Amino acid sequence: MIRTLLRVLGREYAQPLRRTVALMTMTAVAEGLSYALVVPVLRELFGNTPENAWPWLIGFGGAIAVYAALRYISDLSGFHIGTALLRGMYHRLGDHLARLPVGWYSTSRLGEVSVLASRGVLDAMSVIAHLLAPFVSACVTPLTIVGVMLVFDWQMGLAALVAVPIVAAIQISTGRSMAAEDAEREERDHEATGRVIEFLQAQPVLRAGGRTTERFRLLDDSLQEVERASRRSTLSALPGAVGLTLTVQAVFTALLVLGTYLALYGDLGVAETLTILVLAARCADPLLSLTDIGGKLRGARSVLARLDTVLSTEPLPEAAEPIRPLRHDLEFDSVVFRHDDRTVIDNASLSVPQGQRLAVVGPSGAGKSTLLQLLARFYDVDAGTVRVGGVDVRDIDPEVLMARIAIVFQNVYLFDGTIEENVRLGRPDATDAEVRAAATAARLDEVTERLPDGWAANVGEGGALLSGGERQRVSIARALLKNAPIVLLDEVTSALDPVNEAAVHEGIERLMAGRTVVTVAHRMRTVQRADRVVFLDGGRVVEEGSHEELLRRGGRYADFWNISMVPVSREPESTGQ
Amino acid sequence: MPSSGAGSAVQQSMGRLLRPHVRSFAAVVILQVIGALAGLAPLLAVVELGRTLLESGPVDRDRVWTVVIVGAVGLLVRLVFTAASSAIGHILDGKVQLTLRRQLAAQLGRVPIGWFSRRRTGELAKVVGEDVSAVHPFIAHTPGELVSAFVVPLASLVYLFTVDWRLTLITLTPVVLAVALVPLMMTPARVREQEEFDGAMGRISSSVVEFVQGISVVKAFGGSKRAHRKFLTAADDFVDTFNRWVHGISRIAAGMQLVLSPPFVLLVVLIGGAALITGGDLAPADLLPFLLLGLGLTAPVAALGHGFDEMQAAGRAVGRITDVLAVEPLPEPSHPVAPQGYRVELRDVRFGYEEDREVLRGIDLVLEPGTVTAIVGPSGSGKSTLVQLLPRFFDPIHGSVVLGGVDLRELGSRELYRSVAFVFQDVRLLRASVADNIALAVPHADREDVVRAARLANIHDRILESPRGYDSVIGEDVGLSGGEAQRIALARALLADAPVLVLDEATAFADPQTEQAVRRALATLEGERTILVIAHRLETIADADTVVMLEEGRIVEQGRPAELLARGGRFAAFRQSHHSAVADDVEAHGRVLQGDEFR
Repeated sequence: MIRTLLRVLGREYAQPLRRTVALMTMTAVAEGLSYALVVPVLRELFGNTPENAWPWLIGFGGAIAVYAALRYISDLSGFHIGTALLRGMYHRLGDHLARLPVGWYSTSRLGEVSVLASRGVLDAMSVIAHLLAPFVSACVTPLTIVGVMLVFDWQMGLAALVAVPIVAAIQISTGRSMAAEDAEREERDHEATGRVIEFLQAQPVLRAGGRTTERFRLLDDSLQEVERASRRSTLSALPGAVGLTLTVQAVFTALLVLGTYLALYGDLGVAETLTILVLAARCADPLLSLTDIGGKLRGARSVLARLDTVLSTEPLPEAAEPIRPLRHDLEFDSVVFRHDDRTVIDNASLSVPQGQRLAVVGPSGAGKSTLLQLLARFYDVDAGTVRVGGVDVRDIDPEVLMARIAIVFQNVYLFDGTIEENVRLGRPDATDAEVRAAATAARLDEVTERLPDGWAANVGEGGALLSGGERQRVSIARALLKNAPIVLLDEVTSALDPVNEAAVHEGIERLMAGRTVVTVAHRMRTVQRADRVVFLDGGRVVEEGSHEELLRRGGRYADFWNISMVPVSREPESTGQ
Repeated sequence: MPSSGAGSAVQQSMGRLLRPHVRSFAAVVILQVIGALAGLAPLLAVVELGRTLLESGPVDRDRVWTVVIVGAVGLLVRLVFTAASSAIGHILDGKVQLTLRRQLAAQLGRVPIGWFSRRRTGELAKVVGEDVSAVHPFIAHTPGELVSAFVVPLASLVYLFTVDWRLTLITLTPVVLAVALVPLMMTPARVREQEEFDGAMGRISSSVVEFVQGISVVKAFGGSKRAHRKFLTAADDFVDTFNRWVHGISRIAAGMQLVLSPPFVLLVVLIGGAALITGGDLAPADLLPFLLLGLGLTAPVAALGHGFDEMQAAGRAVGRITDVLAVEPLPEPSHPVAPQGYRVELRDVRFGYEEDREVLRGIDLVLEPGTVTAIVGPSGSGKSTLVQLLPRFFDPIHGSVVLGGVDLRELGSRELYRSVAFVFQDVRLLRASVADNIALAVPHADREDVVRAARLANIHDRILESPRGYDSVIGEDVGLSGGEAQRIALARALLADAPVLVLDEATAFADPQTEQAVRRALATLEGERTILVIAHRLETIADADTVVMLEEGRIVEQGRPAELLARGGRFAAFRQSHHSAVADDVEAHGRVLQGDEFR
């Protein structure tokens, strides 16, 4: 666990962390040793001259003062390392997340990473800050006390020592068996969360099916699975907890019996016997608390493991000596790209001369959006080369590459802020006039006129307060403001009604003027205005040429458009294709 | 959001939730009490052992061994009872959580659909998941902790008083000292620091969500170096606040910890004991119980500090759960009335999502059975809201929606959903088999019917291509494209076979095949059903029996499409305004529509 921790934190924290653990250990040892002085104190108090206890008692007080000082220092050190770790962790994670390729952020990952980076880090670090000291103390103090016992009476000490390997073995084996249960449980929780989200999003449909009254089976099953997993993990935690308690109590009983025997028949003084029993009772509580602490530490371990996975994901390599492309033509040279064991782009070659427009057409799932993502280097190719201005995108500084490209996505994400702030993101140093001009060109002024707060209207998280078309206009204004020589458009108008589409189209026309454009399209009008069209299917370029050429050819492309133009017969069976 | 003042409300709702499990819960507590008290036996055995051994004169050996056996038995009892209590507690916890989650699921299946639109799915999922889990300490740990924190110290205290009241008071000094330190942690400065800490924590969560969610935008526009500055600033800000908070509180906390630590308590007891023994006021053997039980007296204070955060968090979670459970569902009629026929009428319907902003301002509309009514209008005119009133996602604020002569509010929800089917833009497929997805609205449909609907929706061939055909699980065995998902949704509505069909003509279909499938389906259904469609395509509008032109929540024109066009009013102008945008597709294909495009 400490090893994972250090790997996640980075080496620079190893030293201070070790120092803190050492301090905590010293504190625990000091506590254990100070108890040694209780033996002479009690011997005197139980003896005939109780006054003689005072010097020992003063000694005990001194020892506790040392313990108190050590404890204070180690507590403070724990707090400090805790905050330092927290800061370090956030920075490390933030830096790393910023360097990971956009392609890494799948939809399911977004949620997971958000939770991990906000709550997860804090949970893991606070567990370390709060539980490390109790854990060290629960292990070390009893061990020291056993040492003290050995010094006073080897028989009693030895009997106590028996507990050490058993407790250690139980701790380790419980840890192992619980790790599997915890993983299982987490899996079930995850599954159930997915089902809940599905259930919520499918409400309209489910209600249409009249499933408002009966339990929704898919969800209910997964909720039951959660309960079963929790029951299983409770039952499998039981042997460990019972075993630990049993061991501790059996050893205490043994000490009680042995002490009594030695006091009655052996040579152990009554005071020593009683003191050792008092100390043994003192050991029991911290040892029993190990079960609890162990459980909490395991929780932190699973968060750490997830952090470790994220941090060990390799970002896309950056060129040691980046090359600045001088032109803005685009080229795919025998590109192969695989994702999740599926070949998405299969040996595709095509080129777009500077200032020309290429339309990519094809059935859904053909790999159209992936082509755009490869150009912007959201992923790296598995074979072949993607070039911008004749330079391999892997040899271009990512900042330089992104500065050349304006992308308008199908799904627009807006930041929680005003419309103006979101537009300005395209070029933060733009003047107000430039921002307004871009917004007007994207016909965003119509939107701001309607909103009560106009330009200062808040768009809500993710842009939730605007409609799809309105968000799209913001994103086009942003791209216009960026004024990049290469424009990538991903089915921009597909989610819009005709009115919004008309508005957005005007903006798009302005955006494309004089630039190198690749657009994924499914509306014939967009395609018609492109210089060239490629028809993509199964990741391959099936046909290539101008719109008219391809239509005349009567191949896949022509079929693709024809199907939407065939008049519909009232008898479905007779609709020949 | 309940603050600390809502504690009793939380307790009440927890009480209600626990009522069915009262017996198990009582068993948990009773077993815990017996176990904890039995745990005192070995300590008392040591005390008795000391008394017997320290007595002058010959040792009563039988008594000694009896004491030892009683101690050992006490330990055994403690082991069995606490383990049983803990196991029952955890299993009970699992049951309570399951009950809670089922209640929440049932509730979420009843609340008005409109309620969802103002909430994030993730937040609600968190209530059902994490918030319910946060109840765990309440049920699984609190009984045990409370017993060991209060019952055991109380029993010890009573016993110690009977032994020697002076030394008992001395033993309590660490507790008094610790309690005296508590006000220092509640000074205005400390409270302010705590609030700042909470605030900074909220900021870091929201900035990380933004950072991660918007990563593609940030990378495409912001440049990756500037991208996470906001996140790091929030992180630094948070750490600084945390530091300040820790700094303010660490000395007091450390002092408290020290005062309550076993060595310190032991020192106090020994000093007090030594003073009393040397003064001849205490028998040496009577010191033993204080050494053994005295340490336990600090437990309540320690427990208060420790469990407080968790309990507070659990309280907040329960608050969120009860908030969801308290939402009023759309009222169900006590005596459902059966509709006569499937004529749909909207009578002076007004509706708004917010108090003062009406989206629909007095809609009067009749949908005759067997006709197609197309709704057109600019975005924001209320089209989607209007069609959502038919499946009763919302109730109108004024006026009524009537189906077959019966107000929807007097129709049972079963009857309503049997009568009204809909296809909206937002396609949701479940991670279940293709067949189950299609049959979602008709759970007991025959496979034949499912296949027929799939054929009609032009998705049958695609389904057969997937590895397990109709049994392929979507998202696991087979991934569907947007267009394919739309066609599944269409098949779903076709299978439902409801006499009233509400359709938000998917504004743009992911591919031409889907577009064709919808057109074909509409053509097939016509004449049998009452169809209300938000129309985007020229053909749909042209084929409709009635066109309703909506503007700013009012019907501005209504009639047969050709008539309206000829009238040259609002509809004609609207059509003209985006005719150029849409007609291009058609013209480009070289098939210019003639004047007969509106029959």
